[in-house]
Amino acid sequence: MPTEQERGPRSAARDHVCRGYRRRGGFVAHAQEFLAEGLAAGERVLYVAPGDETALAGQLRADERCDEGLARGAVQVASVDATYATGDVVDPAGQVERYAAATSEALAAGFTGLRVAADATSLVRTAAQVDAFARYENLVDHYMAAHPMSAMCGYDVGELGGEVVAELACMHPRAVEGGTPFHLHGHARDGSAAALDGDLDLDSRRLWPLALERAGLRSEGSTIVIDATGLAFADHRSLVALATYAEQHAVTVVLRTRLATPARLVELLDLTSVRVERAA
Amino acid sequence: MSARGYDHAAVHYGGDQELLAVAVPFLEGGLAAGEPTLVSMEPERAELVRDALPPSARVEYLSTSDLYARPAAAIKSYRELLAGFVAGGAAGIRIFGEIPSAAIDTSWDWWARYESAVNHAYGEFPLRSMCAYDTRTTPRHVLDDVARTHPFVATAGGGHHTNTGYVDPLSFLTDPRPMTRLPIEGTAPRAELADPRPSDARRAVLATAPVDLPAAEVDDLVLAVSEIVDNALRHGRPPVRVRIWAGAGQMVVSVHDAGPGPADPFAGLLPADRVVGGRGLWIAHQICSEVTLHRDETGFTARLAAGRPW
Repeated sequence: MPTEQERGPRSAARDHVCRGYRRRGGFVAHAQEFLAEGLAAGERVLYVAPGDETALAGQLRADERCDEGLARGAVQVASVDATYATGDVVDPAGQVERYAAATSEALAAGFTGLRVAADATSLVRTAAQVDAFARYENLVDHYMAAHPMSAMCGYDVGELGGEVVAELACMHPRAVEGGTPFHLHGHARDGSAAALDGDLDLDSRRLWPLALERAGLRSEGSTIVIDATGLAFADHRSLVALATYAEQHAVTVVLRTRLATPARLVELLDLTSVRVERAA
Repeated sequence: MSARGYDHAAVHYGGDQELLAVAVPFLEGGLAAGEPTLVSMEPERAELVRDALPPSARVEYLSTSDLYARPAAAIKSYRELLAGFVAGGAAGIRIFGEIPSAAIDTSWDWWARYESAVNHAYGEFPLRSMCAYDTRTTPRHVLDDVARTHPFVATAGGGHHTNTGYVDPLSFLTDPRPMTRLPIEGTAPRAELADPRPSDARRAVLATAPVDLPAAEVDDLVLAVSEIVDNALRHGRPPVRVRIWAGAGQMVVSVHDAGPGPADPFAGLLPADRVVGGRGLWIAHQICSEVTLHRDETGFTARLAAGRPW
């Protein structure tokens, strides 16, 4: 039986989706839909995007469910330019604390949780911003996995480029138009340090070591357990990268997977810092 | 011969007595010198040798079905075994062996490469080994390769001669080798992919896998194909073409690119730390039922098999 905290109020609250977009209007439409679902479920919803707050509220009014939510005070809007100075590098832990506080406030005000749709494009324009924001996305995903908060994060693929969006998308449990072949995220099923889904191969060669470093994997003793039941493929270079990570951090990484080939590769290549366990 | 370094000799025999006339003195010499002395032959001839030796002879018999499933695996196992003997203080080691006739008949290409590569792969060990070939049943082209891959020839009663036909592995392994078509390659491929990503190739293998090929063998082939396509995309030259054949209990996948193939002649048989692409090819050699490498004027082809495509 999951505990109350693990389960959260309902499964939809576990959404944390990355949405790469090429047309801003397209993102707004998806944000309306995402937020309207939250309103229907009794959540407080928050829309964060560039522009002044009047304009942001105006974008949501086009959807009558959001319009109704605005009227009764269930919808909040925040201007990303007003909240952050240009070039600010996000403080991952501080940002998660703010959302944790907002989630608590929403619950105290009688809502079932907090749902956020945010266009974060303007916060990831430099390499340092991307690095910090990827770490934040991972940290907040762990928070969302255990609390009644959900989020849709929008990134402009045309402006940022596919490679940058993929760096952010791979830290989410789910991505639409995110261009990432794998996901390393916080929605682990079994108390593991992280969950890993998708494919690790040539198309994740650059992304995978970055994601491992940014995921802040928690060790118990000197062991890090990754719930890789959603892993569909791993080639030998990805496992060598995992072993390198483990050696650099002086830990053993346990990979729980349904796949048979990772164990063979680990044995063939004598990767002593990685242990493969068969997941049920 | 000095006991240092690898002494790799071929034995040609036409009957049991000829075989024993070479094997028995060789093995007895090893036992007399207190060396680890091993036989790795198919059961019938292992029994023949056992019966010809005194009951007290401390010869170790290795199972050929385990050891000779794949050449790259044989090299890995033998190297571990030999390193263990040396660590235990052995100054000399003797092995009398044979490559199983089924392997000779179905997948000689990679065993020919094995016979050549071991001159390098076991070079650091104080090993004397003899590889026995039955001249009554071994095909001519195989005996030709045997003559080019063994620096010595052993004969009855302890005869040990330099083989003038021996070719250095660096030459043997880079010479063009014929690619014998497997029967299924005479049929239309089930899929053909142009410049696929590794994930495209994996999906195509899964989508065409025959139901009677065990899932574990399909998984291994998927991994091997992914590694080889990765190599072709990163180290080969475009276009990369993948063709997939599937039939009852078998799959064959060829990956062709327009480049010259790996520069390391030992690629596939030995794990290469330094050589680009060497590990992917070595992994394929460890998990496929056969890997054939081929170079011609159009480029480099790696052909990977699962099941029994013979």
